[in-house]
Parts: sequence; C-alpha cells; structure tokens
Amino acid sequence: MADPLAKRSMRRLFSYRHLIFALVQREYQLRYRQSFVGVLWAVFLPLATLGAGSLVFKGIAGVRTEGSSYELATLAALVPWTFLATALSLGVGSVVSQRTLVTKLAFPRQVLPLGMVGVSFLDLIVSAMIFVALAYLVGDGLPATVAWVPLLLSIEITLVVGLVLLGSAANVFARDFRLAIPPLLQLWLLLTPVLYPLTAVPSRLRAWYLANPMTGLVDSFRRVLVAGRAPDRNMLLVAAVGAAVSITVGAWYFAATEKRFADVI
Amino acid sequence: MDAIVVRDLTKAYRLGVGRARVREMLPWPIDTAVRRAAPRWWTRGTFNALEDVSVSVRAGESLSFIGHNGAGKTTLLRLIAGITSPTSGRVSVRGRVAALIDVLVGFHPELTGRENVYLLGAIQGFSRREMRRRLDRIFDFAEIDEAADTPLKRYSAGMGARLGFATLTALDPEILLIDEVLAVGDATFQRKCMGWLDGYKAEGRTLIFVSHNLSMVRSMTERAVWLEHGRVKGDGPVNDVIPDYARAMEQRRDAGTPLTMQSMGKLVRASGVDRWGVGGTRVSHVHIEEATNPYQGLVISITYEASDADEAVFCVAFVDESGRDVGSASSSLMRLRGNGGSVRCAIEPFPLRPGVYFPVVAVVTADGRVRDRWRLDRAIVIERNGNSGVMRDFGPVEFAGLWSDDNA
Repeated sequence: MADPLAKRSMRRLFSYRHLIFALVQREYQLRYRQSFVGVLWAVFLPLATLGAGSLVFKGIAGVRTEGSSYELATLAALVPWTFLATALSLGVGSVVSQRTLVTKLAFPRQVLPLGMVGVSFLDLIVSAMIFVALAYLVGDGLPATVAWVPLLLSIEITLVVGLVLLGSAANVFARDFRLAIPPLLQLWLLLTPVLYPLTAVPSRLRAWYLANPMTGLVDSFRRVLVAGRAPDRNMLLVAAVGAAVSITVGAWYFAATEKRFADVI
Repeated sequence: MDAIVVRDLTKAYRLGVGRARVREMLPWPIDTAVRRAAPRWWTRGTFNALEDVSVSVRAGESLSFIGHNGAGKTTLLRLIAGITSPTSGRVSVRGRVAALIDVLVGFHPELTGRENVYLLGAIQGFSRREMRRRLDRIFDFAEIDEAADTPLKRYSAGMGARLGFATLTALDPEILLIDEVLAVGDATFQRKCMGWLDGYKAEGRTLIFVSHNLSMVRSMTERAVWLEHGRVKGDGPVNDVIPDYARAMEQRRDAGTPLTMQSMGKLVRASGVDRWGVGGTRVSHVHIEEATNPYQGLVISITYEASDADEAVFCVAFVDESGRDVGSASSSLMRLRGNGGSVRCAIEPFPLRPGVYFPVVAVVTADGRVRDRWRLDRAIVIERNGNSGVMRDFGPVEFAGLWSDDNA
C-alpha cells in the first residue's frame, strides 16, 4: 500500500463514501422492487446450499463433524462463503453494467465494485442473523471465541475487495472475467472445506488445501463460531497474506487501468 | 487565473469494436514500457480524435467548441470533465466541474426522480443532507414536483432533460460543461436554461458550451474554439471565428454535409424542404440577393405559377438552425396575375444579427388557407449587417430604432 497511486485513490475514495452508500441503497431499492419475498432471498441461497450439502456430504458421502451438528458447522462456513460468492458475482460485472455512469460522469470508478461488496455485506448480516438464531435454537448458543469474528471478517473483506477490484477492472477489457465467475465459484466451493470439514480431507491433499486462503478463513469461522476454539495460527496467516496480496494487486490494477475504462467499455 | 489548461493534448481511440485486446489491459507502468518498446504495434488500429490541442480558459470565461460532427468537441469536453484521460499531453482543471454530456446524465430508469437526484448528487460528491437542502430548488426549476416519486422510465424526454439540467446546476459548479443538450426540451425551458446560464456567467463562473447552433453559440459565449479533425483551426472572439467556420462549412457543402449554407450574395432556389399547402397557387422559385447597399438589406423575389385565386398574402420568414422561428415579413393582400408572376420584398435594414438562417416562403389566400409553403434547403449566413453590433448578444433581432438626442 506504499504505492502512491493506491494511496491517492484511497484518499479520493474516502471523499466519495456517500456515493458508496448511495449505490448500496440503489442496489437494494432496485433488487427487491417487484419481488415477493424481497430480502429473504439473501437467506435462501445459503440455506439451499446447506440443504444440498447436507444431502450429498452427510447423507450420501457420510461426512461427520466432531462435536456439533453438520448443519450448524456447515452454516458457520457457508455464511462467510456466500458473502464472497455474492460479492464476486455482483462485483466483477459492476463497472461494465454501469456503462452509462462511467461514460458520462467523472467519479472514482472503485465505488462501483465497492458498492457491490457493500450490498453483499448487507446480505451477510441478514444470513448471519439466521445463523445466530439457529445456534441458539439447535446448538448451545455462541461460544466466547466469537470475539475473533471481527478480525476474520476484516481479512475476508480485504480478500474480497481485492478480488472484486481486480475482476471488475479486467472485465472492462475482456468480458471473459464475468463469464468465468460462476464456474470458478462452483469449483472453488468444491475445493474449499465449506460443505465438509477439513478433517474429512485426506492428509496427502491437506497441503494443497492450505494454500487456499478461503480454507483458513472458513475453518477459522467454524472453529470460533461452533467449536469454541481459536483459529489455527498458520492457516490464519495464509489467509491474511492472501488477503494482503489480493488487495494490493486489485487496488493497483484498478487504479492503473481506471483511466481507460470510459474508452474501452 | 486559468480555470482550465489543456496542453499538447492527443487522444487516440481504437478503431472497430467488440474484440478484447491485451494491449488495453496492461496496467501502468507496463503499458508505457511496452509503448516505448513497440510504438508501431501500440498505435496500430487507432486514430487520433484529438491531436496536439492546446487551449486555456480563464476563470469566468465563456467559451464554445464548434466544429462539424466528429471534429473532437465532445472528446475534448470529456477529457476536461475527467471522464477519460489523455493519450499524451496534459489537462489540468481548477474548480468543481459539472458536465452535462447527456441529457439524462446518468439517471437510472427504475429509480424515482428523487432517488436519481440523490444518486447524481452522490456521484458529484454531495451527501444526502446536502442534496436534501437542494431538492426543492431542483424540482422547482425542473417543474416536475408532482413526478418526484415516479420512476424515471415514466418521464417524458423533456422531463428527464429538465431534471438533469436542474440537478447538475444545483450542485454549484465552478466550471460547467454543456454538450448540445439544450437542444432537447421545449423552447420555454430552453429559455429558462439560457436565463439561468446568464446569471451563472454573471457570477464570474466558467462555461464551456458545445453546439451546432451558431446563434446559440454567439449569444451564450464570448469566445469560440473551432475544431476540425481533432485540431484547433481557430480560436478567438465568436464574431471572428464563426464567419470563418461558416465559410468553411459552405465549402464542404459538396462533400455532403447535412447543413448547407450560402453566404450572402445571390441565392436562387426552385424548391425546398418541408413543403406543404392546399395548392392552387404555387411558389415556383425564390430569388434572394443583397440590397444595392451592401450589408444593409436583402431583396427577396417570389415567382408564382398560374393561380386559381385572385389575391393572396405572401410571406417570407426566417428560421434559425435549431428550427426556431425568428421573424417574418408578410404582405398585405396582393392581386395575383392569372398566368403567374412575381412579387418582391425588400427588407432593409435587415434586422437579424449575424448568424445562419433558413428562409421560408409561403403564399396564403384570403380565406386563411396556406396554398404553398416551403423552406429553402440553403441557409443564408449573415456575417455582419449595418448595425453597430455593440449589443449583439441580445436576441436575434436588431430593431431599426430611430434615435435622437433630446437636447440637440
């Protein structure tokens, strides 16, 4: 973040925080206009994935979680995963889909992907409330290790913002990036211990798993929310390094190519 | 103090669309390195929309960019607005800029007028609270109070344009860029906008205006920058630059430009456009020339064909480039010759200020029926007339007032 380009755009961005709020608000206003269940859609996606995961991994593959119900342990990972998935799905296309704004008005274009991360974060809050309710209804409530959550969330948000900045900028030049998101997310979900615990992964594959920053994140979420244990230091470190690389590359690439957006989009 | 400095500006765009190119994806500083290493490859398939353009604008100045389509006017405006960046050269701007590049600025069709105003304000860096204070003023000016909570997709084009102008101008810009947008919307609102812009200019703020309408350019701005093929062809007071530009347009006539013009001199046409009427009496041709006293007046001869009516009123009217009626001269009832004939009208002194005007001829019988009416497809370009021209910016007409000194 010592890059002066990134620093300058950070300062400029802060003065445009109203716009980020306005974009989040607009997305919400538009998204649930003319819909039946409205904001409940934010809950539906993680719950549906949970149902499918429960059927396949618990019911068919016979995956077992230690000390807690499969559903609660999986939801603890699915809620943060869904945040990443939603942010990438909405965010990578966000600059291109706001073509009219980009070609007609001058403003820091970062607000467009950041607004979509904001929208996904609101969804995250809604689905987190469902998790908390379930934790008290079917489980033993939240352990004290829940205090780790702000740190874990900060790491995840940093990772997500970096990826969304990189993807949304690259997508302006080549639409392949937006098109690649759904299959990539599907692959990434299967290769991350979200619908199954890390303990179910054979040890010879473990090293590969640990290179994935989301592995450390979802495992940490599961530990602090369900098992009541602190995160694994090394895994958390991998996630933090991944997040730092992501935000550096993403912010730099976006700032370095932003000036060409209006010409190419 | 300069509000805007544009120095040696070049802007290249790629030709063709629809293919992703690696070249464009390279981030700085890789792109500059590649450009230096392989300049040929870098510039292949691009053209320069602007080339070596230098313009500086003082704070408080009002200036127009003129030029035919594709000359680079809008590109220059977008660069000044910061929407896009130069390929080489420099643009520096001092002051808060608002750009009206498109009538609907960046409005979202699904959002209501009010929500759109908040969003546009936020894009320009204004908080919700700051916008709330301006809301009444905006909807008042745009004259759409009752539609404030209706989605924009249900607005008429005029309503949307009014809201766009009202919102951007409520954001206290110090530099206002307006691209051909005042052409949309009704004449009343257009006048209101012009009135607002007069006040804006009087406060010593900077205005840059792009228009094909030379009379609007003349009345709204003091200085004109004429762009041709991305280069500055002329820069100076409007009354110096516009005649040169108009002459150049005239020479381009044969190259198929939509707007054809002819300098004062002689103009003979046997037919025109927008022709309508019930018939029975037809204008077969029109002959316009300068009065014997150069620059003082015009003489218009109208030749009509054999007619079934005994008498008729003839009329010569003038329409400006935006289609606005400027004025007319109509005769009293005149006797018509059975086998056709011609009538003549001298307009002296010619009251229209320098500009481009299209003559319209009409013949109307006593029963009020328009027998024939058409507009000449050539314009007359008034470069100067006999008036002093001191008050040249005040409307299109200079009355032939008879002034005298009461104390003499």
